[in-house]
Amino acid sequence: MFATPVQVRKRSATVFLLFGALLTILLFRLLWVQVVNGAFYASKAENMRMRELVVEAKRGTIYDRNMHSLAVSISVDSVVANPSEVMRGEREAPGRARETAAVLAQFLEMDPEKVYGLITKENVSFVYVKRKVDPDKITNLRNYVQEKNLKMPGISYVPESKRYYEKGKLAAHVLGVTDTDARGLEGLEFIFDQQLKGIPGRLVSEYDGQNRQLPQAEHAFIRPTDGRGLVLTIDETVQYIVERELDKLERERKPKGATIIVMEVKTGRILALGNRPTFDPNDRTNFSDAARRNRAISDVYEPGSTFKIVTASAALEEGTVKNSDRFFDPGYAKVGDRRVRCWKDGGHGDQTFEEVVQNSCNPGFIAIGLNLGAEKFYRYLKAFGFGQPTGISLNGEATGILVPQANVKPIDLATMSIGQANAVTPIQLITAVSAVANGGKLMKPQLVEKVLDAQGGVLKSYAPEIIRQVISQETAQHLNLILESVVSKGTGKNAYIDGQRVGGKTGTAQKIKSGGGYMEGEYVASFVGLAPANDPVVACLVVVDAPQGEPHFGGLVAAPIFKLVMTDVLRHLGIQPQAEHQETPAAGDTVEEVIVPSVTGLSLLEAQDQLGRVRLAAATEGFGTKVVRQQPEPGEKLAISTAVILYLGDDPKAAPVIAGASAVCPDVRGKGIRQAGELLAQAGLSFEPVGSGLAHKQSVQPGQAVPRGTVVQVEFAPLPEEGP
Amino acid sequence: MDLKRIKNIDVTLLVSVFLLLTFSLIILSSASSNVGREPLDFVRKQATWMLIGITLAGSFLFVQYQTMARFSWYIYAANLLLLMTVFFIGINVNGAVRWVNIGAFQFQPSEFSKLIMIVTFADFLARRQGQLNTLKELLPCFAYVAVPMLLILKQPDLGTSLVLIAIMIGMMYAAGANKRILTSLITGGLVVIVFSLYAHFQWGLPLPLQEYQINRLIIFINPDLDPVRTGYHIRQSLIAIGSGGLFGKGLFNGTQAQLNFLPEHHTDFIFSVVGEELGFAGVFGLLLLFFILIVRGLRIARDARDIYGSLLVIGILSMFLFHIMINVGMTIGIMPVTGIPLPFVSYGGSAMITNMACIGILLNVNLRRRTILF
Repeated sequence: MFATPVQVRKRSATVFLLFGALLTILLFRLLWVQVVNGAFYASKAENMRMRELVVEAKRGTIYDRNMHSLAVSISVDSVVANPSEVMRGEREAPGRARETAAVLAQFLEMDPEKVYGLITKENVSFVYVKRKVDPDKITNLRNYVQEKNLKMPGISYVPESKRYYEKGKLAAHVLGVTDTDARGLEGLEFIFDQQLKGIPGRLVSEYDGQNRQLPQAEHAFIRPTDGRGLVLTIDETVQYIVERELDKLERERKPKGATIIVMEVKTGRILALGNRPTFDPNDRTNFSDAARRNRAISDVYEPGSTFKIVTASAALEEGTVKNSDRFFDPGYAKVGDRRVRCWKDGGHGDQTFEEVVQNSCNPGFIAIGLNLGAEKFYRYLKAFGFGQPTGISLNGEATGILVPQANVKPIDLATMSIGQANAVTPIQLITAVSAVANGGKLMKPQLVEKVLDAQGGVLKSYAPEIIRQVISQETAQHLNLILESVVSKGTGKNAYIDGQRVGGKTGTAQKIKSGGGYMEGEYVASFVGLAPANDPVVACLVVVDAPQGEPHFGGLVAAPIFKLVMTDVLRHLGIQPQAEHQETPAAGDTVEEVIVPSVTGLSLLEAQDQLGRVRLAAATEGFGTKVVRQQPEPGEKLAISTAVILYLGDDPKAAPVIAGASAVCPDVRGKGIRQAGELLAQAGLSFEPVGSGLAHKQSVQPGQAVPRGTVVQVEFAPLPEEGP
Repeated sequence: MDLKRIKNIDVTLLVSVFLLLTFSLIILSSASSNVGREPLDFVRKQATWMLIGITLAGSFLFVQYQTMARFSWYIYAANLLLLMTVFFIGINVNGAVRWVNIGAFQFQPSEFSKLIMIVTFADFLARRQGQLNTLKELLPCFAYVAVPMLLILKQPDLGTSLVLIAIMIGMMYAAGANKRILTSLITGGLVVIVFSLYAHFQWGLPLPLQEYQINRLIIFINPDLDPVRTGYHIRQSLIAIGSGGLFGKGLFNGTQAQLNFLPEHHTDFIFSVVGEELGFAGVFGLLLLFFILIVRGLRIARDARDIYGSLLVIGILSMFLFHIMINVGMTIGIMPVTGIPLPFVSYGGSAMITNMACIGILLNVNLRRRTILF
């Protein structure tokens, strides 16, 4: 028993070998895990504890040309939950999760069961209870929680930005919409998405194994870069005027659609663009796709007689028609074996060229067109930009439809001359007419004037872009005067504005059936015009698609609208009525005008009552009980039964004011209305003129720094009498 | 005791044990810093267990180890009684009764029973030298171990039961049991286990184990089987060790351990903390210390004065070896999760005292080794 058997020794050696082998296996496995795959596991360890939260960049503001904000991003809270924290709270105080769910459900107007399901979801550490909640609801919730001293572990508020279109439906089709994650879907929001959206930041924070955020732990905040701002060519006031007239039209005539575009002819800048039907971008999901369709650029129509401006321009420029030429209209024109009737039974008889335009005489224009010839006609069609997109910075622009030049027959040329057969978009037509108004220079239509950085500095300016000289300045000027005579003597009489020199052309076209041919009893009534005729500043196009009831003629439907829009636009732009009065139209059914009373600060009912007394209608925007703003301003003249837009809010102070960079008020004393307006607009301030003449008093002192968009009231007084 | 013998003591073994203990305190100071009431709570307690263990081991040296052999049947009986106490006064933790209260302390009878098993079984085998050749001769050995093992399995403590089997096989092998019978029994046992697990999952064969125990046995093959409990442990442990890389993240800087992603990081999964905070260099150093300990132990077994001493040492080494392999293997996903701590390093009083007592016995056998006289 004392001698250790050799067996034990031998077997000890075997055990040693076995041990060595096992140890080697462990070491190899450790090498594999730690050295070979170390980086893989290191990143896994980091993923275990680091969570990244995207911090949205603030989307850039969209301003009108006078720095009035149209679309802003406001910070709203989303309610989020960390279910594992909620469950921890539940373990500490059973029933707390139910209680929390009930409170949240009550204030967020959700189903308590659904909320409970969300906040107690297993195996997740982050859920949205409700995204982008109304600030009111959040405030009520927070107050309630504070008052009752409620503990809601795992529930927190994350600020997110929400797009807010301050002026509701105003310029909805131009601005477009964004989705919940603030990505541009349509309109300028879509086209300039890259500029507007900015670069999102990131918040990286560290969590422990129980999913609690570590307060002092490693974390990094990568600051978001806020989006850039856009300054549009749109003038908020002009846009209001357009929207107001469209609303009135919609109420009275219930057309299938309507479009009004106002363009600054010398620059191609669009001052206003509105369509009906329209939508509220704050509430995009409740509107149909049709309402969101920007008919001004996406829909084509046969322009009818308004297109005769193009025919006349081409013929005058080419010299195939002279002022002295005479035309005889027997009531129809024979083209080959077909007869095209004039709109007037029996015809216009013997006419000069100017009278042909004034009368919008079809046989006359057919003769002019046939005389011009297809080749030249097409050259001008293309030079005016028809059949191709204008390149406006909006999505979904249509190119229009031209009869193919290769197989054009005389009858096609004849119908094209009077604005049928070819289909154009409203934006194409007003761009072409603006070229005529602009001394023959075709401008590219523009919507965006400047791109601003987050601090308000100008990053990029879009200068007006001349595409080409389509007709000579002389021809253009000649044509402007002819168009003026259309308004003063011819078919456009309803567009006549007392004291202003307005030129324009009516149009009434039958609508094309989708299968070919024309629809019976459905017309597109339109009017396109410019002012002042001697030196045009603005052009305006009114297109009314299938107005219900009679009359349907452009001269009777669209011209009065054009007149109302143009009157207010000219006044807003400070274009004074010219001294030399044109002949008053023969059959001027003058509209009675009244002065807009001040209703700001009144309750909605009181305001409606006040307006009703002076025979004005009221349209509301926003929600609330008090009128915080009105458009037009008090003191302006309006045709009776026109709607005044009332902006509603709960409190005058609640009127959305987005604090931007401050602006230094310029000295406008001694300046005229127009000059004062431009100076203030350049400084980013709003302008409220009082009186007429030269400025002698301004509500903000020169050199004073005030927030951008502050309204500066300027009092104007007539020129003092000069001594001898 | 003959004090002159003290100069024969295995200094290398002694040093490696002291380094292991130092290592334990250092890594525990980091691994338990977020567990106890105070950062050094567990370090202090562990140090206390170490001192008790060292005292116990030191006092062992004064008694001839052969003395234990004389009382082996009494000790065996005492072991069974001890194991049965848990069923009467044991504390139920997560459905298992493993702890018994003694004053302010809790201790785990099954930890001590491993050493008691070694001490008694060595005598049992030593008396049967040369009579371990047939199955009939081996059966009493199995029965001898089976009784305490079944008591431990009933607690239930699957891990410790498996340790007993490992000790038994190691000691029987060293005692010269028939190699063929032993091998076929091990192989047969493994086949039965694998087959019954397969049958359990495939055809629902009922097994005398809790579902979570079965899961733990096979989880290392596919951690996705139980991704929120045992699978989660393995995955977090692998991430901890892997992310440590070559030199680790530094003491107190292991995110997996310090942020509580890694469960049981001061006890069963302390090796993962070593891997995370000290890297491959750290685990290599630790395994090197274990290697020295085992190799020196084998030397002591070889040089023991008698077969009883050899078997004592082999039993102890089998236990250490099994613990190290299973524990380390578990943390790197190549062994089942059985809740076996890492000797000398994991926090735990009963285990520490038992392990130190084992070292005392190793040194006892070492001091009284065969002296070669010329």
